[in-house]
Amino acid sequence: MFIEELVESVQRVTAELGQAAIWLSVLSAIWAIGALLIGLRQRNAQIVRSGRNAIIAIFILITIATGALIFGFVTDDFSMMYVVEVSSAAQPLLYKITALWGAMSGSLLLWLWILTIAGAIVVWQNKKASDTLADYALIPIAIVQLFFLIVVTGVIEGVYNPLARFPDGIAMPDGRGMNELLQTPSMALHPPSLYVGWIGLTVPFAFAVGALASGRIGSDWVLRSRRWMLFSWIILTIGITLGGNWAYQELGWGGYWAWDPVENASFMPWLLGTAYLHSVMIQEKRNMLKLWNILLITLAFQFTLLGTFITRSGVITSVHSFAQSDIGWYFLGFILASTAGVIGLIVHRWQRLKSANRLQSLLSRESAFIANNWLLVGLTGIILWGTLWPIISEAIQGEKAAVPEAFFNKVVIIPGLLLLFLTGAGPIISWKKITPNNFRRMFVSPLLIGLVAAAVAWIFLAFKAHAASVAAAEAANVAVAEVATPNLFMRVWEFLIFKGQAIPIYSVLCVFASVFVIVAIFSEFYRGTKLRTKRQETSFLNGLWLLIQRNKRRYGGYIVHIGIVIVYIGIMGSKGYFLLESAHLKLGDSMEVGTYQLTMKDTFEEEHENYLRRGVVFDVEKKGKHVTTMKPARHYYDQAEQAEGEQGTIESAIHAIGLNDLYTALGPLPEKIGTDTYLNVQVYHNPLIKVVWIGVAVMVLGGIIAIAQKSDPNPRSQTA
Amino acid sequence: MKQRRLKIIAASAILLSGFVVLVLSTTKKESMPELTPAKLLVNADRTDNQNVKVVGVISEESSTWDAANTKLTFAIREPEGSETVNVVYNELKPDNFTDGGNVFVEGTYNAEKNLVVATKLTTKCASKYEGAESATTQKSSSYLSR
Repeated sequence: MFIEELVESVQRVTAELGQAAIWLSVLSAIWAIGALLIGLRQRNAQIVRSGRNAIIAIFILITIATGALIFGFVTDDFSMMYVVEVSSAAQPLLYKITALWGAMSGSLLLWLWILTIAGAIVVWQNKKASDTLADYALIPIAIVQLFFLIVVTGVIEGVYNPLARFPDGIAMPDGRGMNELLQTPSMALHPPSLYVGWIGLTVPFAFAVGALASGRIGSDWVLRSRRWMLFSWIILTIGITLGGNWAYQELGWGGYWAWDPVENASFMPWLLGTAYLHSVMIQEKRNMLKLWNILLITLAFQFTLLGTFITRSGVITSVHSFAQSDIGWYFLGFILASTAGVIGLIVHRWQRLKSANRLQSLLSRESAFIANNWLLVGLTGIILWGTLWPIISEAIQGEKAAVPEAFFNKVVIIPGLLLLFLTGAGPIISWKKITPNNFRRMFVSPLLIGLVAAAVAWIFLAFKAHAASVAAAEAANVAVAEVATPNLFMRVWEFLIFKGQAIPIYSVLCVFASVFVIVAIFSEFYRGTKLRTKRQETSFLNGLWLLIQRNKRRYGGYIVHIGIVIVYIGIMGSKGYFLLESAHLKLGDSMEVGTYQLTMKDTFEEEHENYLRRGVVFDVEKKGKHVTTMKPARHYYDQAEQAEGEQGTIESAIHAIGLNDLYTALGPLPEKIGTDTYLNVQVYHNPLIKVVWIGVAVMVLGGIIAIAQKSDPNPRSQTA
Repeated sequence: MKQRRLKIIAASAILLSGFVVLVLSTTKKESMPELTPAKLLVNADRTDNQNVKVVGVISEESSTWDAANTKLTFAIREPEGSETVNVVYNELKPDNFTDGGNVFVEGTYNAEKNLVVATKLTTKCASKYEGAESATTQKSSSYLSR
């Protein structure tokens, strides 16, 4: 009783407290910008310190505002508009908390909160810094914070303050509940990890702007923001993968990537961030690409905001389209204004941005890095082109047009394969210019082994294609001789040229490049370890450990490259060679997918906390032997506004068979399922899909190793 | 030195032109008009037997689900009008498929029958989750559509 009264009395003030905190933060951000600008200009340490304190104050205030909203969720305060929009009394506690980012207003508050955490960390990390670079960097951070603060206050039409209450003291009896599709563990983590990744990019961008403003355009800003950049990259990698994994598990279409505008919006900053991570090494080692790096990180930051414009302005039709409002146009305005600011600073510092060194050869590590950058930026450009094609086509042709997924799949393959090849070539080619000795020692074996692997893959795929055509002929009751020449020699030749089949040339090229990269990188590990083992007179394993330990950045990066190869192989298998069978079955009926036979044995119903789970039980066999039992289902949520006869959400059942998945999804279920009721079922066999997730895990592991290395305080470039 | 720079510029130009040619030719091949039902009907002659993307809302009480043949038929209505286009889709009915909900389909248009044979169908919630990321998509089974 006492607790209830306490909660009620706290509820009466939390929303107001949160709103006050947001408005106070607006004042603090204005103070921070002003104090830092004036303090740095007048070289007045006290005023600068006051600006830093204002950044800390914003963090504390927005933490209070976010805490107030979470309190509203946890205590079911249905006088708050946002709580009603995305929560309900029956929603499990975890999803009451994750409802914070269940819709636009709360997502923006979360974005802002993470940004204020980043600001406070930058202040904390640089409190003992002997120079003003970090203080200059705090100015763009505070400007971005101010922009988000203005958005969150609710002054923009179409976006309300997430802490706003209904007018006239109205309180709803219950909330509408969060979208059922978002009530999954991976969706609980996907949006915040994307936000953390995007916001992490704000810090290197701010350091780049700080470098331009302060005139310290060496590698200092790169080194001091290196770990932020890597951190963002790791978290973005995880966030994007969680989104794909969520789509795979939840949406029932057996895939994980559809080139939707919002997916593209999350992927483009990742591509630009990856390009930046490579090009800064050239700046550190060779004192080149200073301007390029500033442009690249500016682009990467602007692309994190562009996603909001794409999804909320209403100009692009997206799977994800959020509520449309003016907010997208405000984001576009901010992107243009901040880009103009950066260009102004670049013009101001033009002379200092010139490179000290030039490219000496097209065949050098520098060139490989630059080609990598060209490809990554080119890929970003291609994806942006496809994403914005509705706007571009309207401007050119006067009619809105769209490109399907097929467009993206076709245009990314060739640059993607070139990038894969560079993943192996970059680390083994020598700096400045390749020498015959370097080529012989580093390239010959990986190239030869890659070619052999490609030939084996070619033969393997030829045999698989032949086996499929023979099986199809048998199924269609056509004589096998009609689809295959009886002459053995001719038959092998036909297999090899894929007569009558589409040649899977991209798969063969992917195998070639993947094996080339793996051999190249493992050779690097082997050579380095052997040297360490000899020098330290220790075991091979210990030598390997020492090798990684001494140069975490380099070898962590190589592990990331191995992870990328694994992801490519997974994408090749799961996108290129999946099987899909659709059927309508009644109890007792069977269907076949590849070599698996699925029999619908039973139905089931389970009551859960806020939903009913209904589905069927499949017995899965292979060549007469029991493999597993699968239970695809549909969920019917107890939402306040659940429409009558609502069909529920698809809850696929996934069974791992080694690295492959068997994936089942159910169509709409009738109210009663009898022995003669037909149900729709789709079953996928997704080869190598597990490899995609494993590859991402390896990439993340490599990233963690690389981030563990502290930045070199005396890089060569500073003396160059 | 000059020759080296020239080589670098030439290599970059080749790479860039390759990208541009690839993108423009694929855009030309794959691009399809994005229309609402009213605009599609006005342009029926031009879009007959062509791939189109139609954006609108699911016309109330127009949908039928043929479980035996895995066949969903419905009409897309102009968001603020009465013009409709019929759709047939031979895949699982996606989540969030409700009358009045926002939808877009991609497929081939048959002007005579005023019918789109859809290869991709994407639904979005209407007003229920106004601000939420609330959409699902279903696709045909072809390799390139995944």
